[in-house]
Amino acid sequence: MYYIGIDVGSANTKAVLINENGAVAAYVIVPSGVGLLSAARRVLDEALARAGVDWDQVAAVVSTGYGREIVPNKTKAVTEITCHGRGAFALFPHTRTVIDIGGQDSKAIALSVTGAVAGFEMNDKCAAGTGRFLEVMARALEVGLDRMGPVALTSERPAVISSTCTVFAETEVVSLLAQGVAPSAIVAGLCNAVADRVHGLVARIGVRAEVTMTGGVSKNTAVVKAMERILGVSANVPEEPLIVGALGAALIARELGLKQAT
Amino acid sequence: MPEGGGPIQVFESVCEDPYRVAREAAAGGRSVAGYLCTYTPEELFHAAGCFPVRIFGRDKGATYHADAHLPSFACGFLRSVLDMALAGELDFLEVVVFPHTCDTMQNLAEIWKHSVARIPSITITTPVSVGTEPAVRYFSEEIRRARKALEETVGEVSDSLLMKSIALYGAHRERMHRLYEVRRAHPERLSGRQMMATVIASLLMPREEHLPHLDALLAELGGVSGQTGDDRPTVFVVGNTCHNLDYVSMIEDAGCVVVEDDLCSGYRAFAMAARNERDPIDRLARMYLVGTSCPTKHQPGWDTGKDLVEKAQALRAEGVVFLLTKFCEPWGFDYPHLKEAFEGAGLPTLLAAIECNQPPGESFRGRISAFIEMLQTKS
Repeated sequence: MYYIGIDVGSANTKAVLINENGAVAAYVIVPSGVGLLSAARRVLDEALARAGVDWDQVAAVVSTGYGREIVPNKTKAVTEITCHGRGAFALFPHTRTVIDIGGQDSKAIALSVTGAVAGFEMNDKCAAGTGRFLEVMARALEVGLDRMGPVALTSERPAVISSTCTVFAETEVVSLLAQGVAPSAIVAGLCNAVADRVHGLVARIGVRAEVTMTGGVSKNTAVVKAMERILGVSANVPEEPLIVGALGAALIARELGLKQAT
Repeated sequence: MPEGGGPIQVFESVCEDPYRVAREAAAGGRSVAGYLCTYTPEELFHAAGCFPVRIFGRDKGATYHADAHLPSFACGFLRSVLDMALAGELDFLEVVVFPHTCDTMQNLAEIWKHSVARIPSITITTPVSVGTEPAVRYFSEEIRRARKALEETVGEVSDSLLMKSIALYGAHRERMHRLYEVRRAHPERLSGRQMMATVIASLLMPREEHLPHLDALLAELGGVSGQTGDDRPTVFVVGNTCHNLDYVSMIEDAGCVVVEDDLCSGYRAFAMAARNERDPIDRLARMYLVGTSCPTKHQPGWDTGKDLVEKAQALRAEGVVFLLTKFCEPWGFDYPHLKEAFEGAGLPTLLAAIECNQPPGESFRGRISAFIEMLQTKS
């Protein structure tokens, strides 16, 4: 039998299909767009098609992400906190702190030695310090989102971004450009600003090694490096950090499926 | 669990339109006194013939009027109250009472005098340090001053009427404590929402009208004996004010039982001690100046963290939710110490920073659900 985890996030919808041993058989990532339900259906169908698996071979589906309730035929909906914790722990079994920076929210999760969630913090007042912040800035600076990390790392003197509001930070970026500051320095400053912002959350739960970073923003090497510098520890980054929540959901689905079978 | 009809339906319907009862009372010719915090000696206003009603602000919507008067770091609760007043939605009040507690409350009392002058206000300065003799003497004098101001605006307050009001409120408090006791033993008989509806309605209805419904509810619920069959994770909710029943519903819908609260809009509204001083004003002063978790008050020798931890342990709570209205400075300062106290005792906590005058949103649901999942995994 197979198990599916599906993460309907604000930016992307992800599905992970695993087999009875917990090994990944297929995964799919599509932009969420406005049609969350069709995005959910699409990733489910594509994951099955890629692995050559039929629906009747799927024993359980667990959904997560802010659109988790919309997923059809789900066995259970579980929050991103639990799923990211589970996924990160499966990939890096010594993880005690998970830092997930997604499209609209950032989270710091403390894990026990057994991988259970022991505490967490989420951004609550605004979405600065998330993927959306970097998306807005990438557009303002005409730098591709995937290029922000490498561009930032070329700067030796990162600019300082002091606004904590995304819109005001964009104004600040425009003003820095007008002053002739190099775009690479501004990009580096923005990456540092994201890390600083998330540091506030991590400090509230207390950082413990090992640290694993998940979510789309951990693909940005400059943010990861800034985070490592601030926290004083190196961070694990999964090969595909976008699917960690969906992987956690799939592992929970497997647990539920195996429980039902006995 | 009580179904439709009966006292719970009355309470839920009062909470749906929080100031309907007060507006109707005012239209019927009764003086209505609005008050904003549990440190208001309601009995004094009741004895003057008033219906003292708790003002919580609105349930939703923007606060354009109030925003012109308040800095951005003032809490949504008092912002909403001021906005209602400026929009004319509190014109049914004959008088409004400001107990001096937090800075925003004190400043609002001053803004009110200028900007909502059509509704007279009475300020009662409550001592910061409670439980000491000088504090009691000071507070007695403040209540006497309020009595004089009340007599000038509303009407005479005789000692005998005051004693009658004290007896009524005392009887009601005793019943509320009994209700809390029954629910502690049998949370399966009354949902957290129903409990909260009972509490909030008591602050929005004349106590003499709430009391018979409360008695009927107690009779329906039965005593404390017997085993509870409830095995949901138990959560203790601590914080400032939240009159919107949807918050508690959302917490319980995540799969737990709110075993008890320590909220200004909840248990603390009935925390006054029963006293028997002969002078009614002295009695009121001693009743009201008790140590609670209200962070605007300090009682020598009292440790809120220790008290709340002991309460949580006695309730066998498995987790603690801080339901804190954003920008509440006093709670913001106390929170780190209280979090440490609970977690030091092995009780996980969740900080749910809310806008109590707006409906709960997805972000609140997500946090609560994740916290309950965490408790379920632990147990």
